[in-house]
Amino acid sequence: MNIFSEIYGTYFRIAAKLLENEVTDEKTVRETVQREGFRDSVLFLPQKLIPGSEDWGLFSRGADGKLRRITKNAPVRVLTKLQKMWLRAKLSDPRIRLFMDGEALVRLDERLADVTPLYKKEQFGFTDRFSDSDDYSSEDYIRNFRTALEAVRHRRIVFIEFVSGHGKHMSGKFVLLKLEYSPKNDKFRAYCYLLRNDRIKSSGVINIGRITSIVDTGRTFRTPVSVDGYFLSRKCSSPALIRVTTERNGVERFMLEFASYEKHTVRDLATGEYKVEIWYDEQDETELLIQLLSFGPVIEILGPAHLREQAKMRVKRQAELLAENGDDENADGA
Amino acid sequence: MAGFSELIKNFDKTRDYVRDFFIYGCKVRSDFDRKSVRTYGDEKRRVESWMGDCMRYDDSVRGRSVSISVNSSNIPENPLYNAYYSKSFTDNDIRLHFFLTDILHDARSRSLKELVDTLNTDYSQLFDEQTVRNKLKEYVDEGIIISGKQGKTMYYSLSGDSADGFIRDFPGLDDALEFFSEAQHFGIIGNSILKMLGLRNELFFFKHNYIIHTLEDVLIPEILKAMDGRCFIIFRTFSAKKLMTGADNTAETRAVPMKILVSVQTGRRYLAAYIPGQKRFTAFRLDCMNSVKTGDICEKYDELKESFDRNLSRCFGVSFGSRSENGTFPLIKIIFYADEKNERYIIERLEREKRCCTLERSGDNLYTLTADVFDPNELMHWVKTFIGRIVRIEGGPDTVKKRFRADIARMNRMYGGDEDEHIQ
Repeated sequence: MNIFSEIYGTYFRIAAKLLENEVTDEKTVRETVQREGFRDSVLFLPQKLIPGSEDWGLFSRGADGKLRRITKNAPVRVLTKLQKMWLRAKLSDPRIRLFMDGEALVRLDERLADVTPLYKKEQFGFTDRFSDSDDYSSEDYIRNFRTALEAVRHRRIVFIEFVSGHGKHMSGKFVLLKLEYSPKNDKFRAYCYLLRNDRIKSSGVINIGRITSIVDTGRTFRTPVSVDGYFLSRKCSSPALIRVTTERNGVERFMLEFASYEKHTVRDLATGEYKVEIWYDEQDETELLIQLLSFGPVIEILGPAHLREQAKMRVKRQAELLAENGDDENADGA
Repeated sequence: MAGFSELIKNFDKTRDYVRDFFIYGCKVRSDFDRKSVRTYGDEKRRVESWMGDCMRYDDSVRGRSVSISVNSSNIPENPLYNAYYSKSFTDNDIRLHFFLTDILHDARSRSLKELVDTLNTDYSQLFDEQTVRNKLKEYVDEGIIISGKQGKTMYYSLSGDSADGFIRDFPGLDDALEFFSEAQHFGIIGNSILKMLGLRNELFFFKHNYIIHTLEDVLIPEILKAMDGRCFIIFRTFSAKKLMTGADNTAETRAVPMKILVSVQTGRRYLAAYIPGQKRFTAFRLDCMNSVKTGDICEKYDELKESFDRNLSRCFGVSFGSRSENGTFPLIKIIFYADEKNERYIIERLEREKRCCTLERSGDNLYTLTADVFDPNELMHWVKTFIGRIVRIEGGPDTVKKRFRADIARMNRMYGGDEDEHIQ
């Protein structure tokens, strides 16, 4: 019982899809492989499916040249024990209540009663998750979450009242593009566009936990909007350029910690140092800055100028604080 | 590249390559001396195939480097799941999969002999009984087929738990799958259900998303099994740093598994375990571990677990500190400045990020964080996110304070005044 098994594999899945229909043809086989397979699958898989010298014998060729499946029925999609164990484990996750009502959860729990959960919550621990996570047990929260989810699904225009990060009460009509979850914050947020007179005025992000009221206006936002366009509008105009030294295993630590960012890396052969360009959402600039500063002198922010300037101001202030408090007497600059 | 296959037998090898392409992102073929040219070419081709548009190529005098460049906040599905969907198999595996489940489609149970005969007569497939028996046993273990004796004969039928039935019977499960298929833990399993149903995540994106973690999921079930059974585990670890030198640097470790620790900020996951030889708890990085096997029962498991839980409350991250230093220094106190009128968000940050430490107001615009932790060095990485606000550090090891002062002095020179030559 292992997730790394061919029964979950892409080749099995494509074969199952093609076997759903009694009759198919070579063109459909190739198109399905192209669409559902890996980039190069079309070089390897069609000849295993189409009758010939190498095929698996899942189809036979009829007089009309069409391919007829050997099986009598469309393949059944049976949940494996591992998949059910995973589902059972999720029943203990408070976030499942965001999606399913108590009654459905009780029935699912009964249905999976003889299945051992894949893991227990206490077998995992998050070492550095923020403590002010969303309250997934709150009925208000669940209601707001579900309205937001429906708004994303059907691109509904919703009227939202919420409290901003600075404590201001805000409201307006929004179209929601996606919901975002952060394991670091343990919070959900909604990527949105603020509307004025049914036109997009600006892009933003609203914490679901800060919503005090969300009402579906009953109207759908029909103007085509692209999620890529949304992110592009928020992307920094020039990337952060970071010099990463080899000191204190800096390269490995830095590359791992910043792995979730879009980045471009160049290594200096002479010094072993790396220069890394990091693209980020402009709204997250402060988060990026403090994360960079936490590496101390192991890295250096080379650009853009305004980001480097912010680092410089903070470091200067810090040096002054230490000097004022007499804590710099032993500073040796080593 | 004759003989290339998209499918793989060995997951560990693929883990190494993806990690190198993904984490370092600027290696050329010659950097992979530890592997043959053929292996490098095949692995690169597979990763390219999975990652599609996320691959980036750069030419330099050293050669062409390949890297994965992806903003993991803006992708609906982890592309590295494809590694799990690439397991190789035999022709008989796929034939028996579809033919046996087709025969059993009518919910009637059948004996091995009936199944073998039907394969022959209805599907023109000649299989010996042993081959079919092995496959049936495998599918019984997987939960796809149910077995039961009638008299002395074993009968087989198909499990009635279809994915479609679950989606139909339990409203909201489809949305839950979209979310949990990309969230921890074991999102890959949720994704396999979605894929089976022809569905995909269209609702959620994930910030602070370390997609490479999924490659470690292959190890964790065995660790969980050992925890449930209160057993030792035996595994091999390797140094990520030394890996690049090509030297064989693996070591076998026998330990008592306690907990999987996940850092949502540094991109690392760990196994926290007790090492009997050293009589202490240690955290091992999952990305530097392979070949996990369950060992004997540990008679002292419950006692160790109790001790572990006590110890964990003094870890700021995953470090249990150095034995020689534990208990030799006074509690470390960090005094922060925050303008109480205009910078409430700083105080809120301290509150929500302080973990096992305590925070108290210690004067006008001053807040003192007290940390009773094994390893103050670990604390300092986080403390430095407050650079510009750290008024004073009291207690703790002198080395920690000295290094902090030295770091600030170096940074001040690095970013300082007229000597600032690097500015763009």
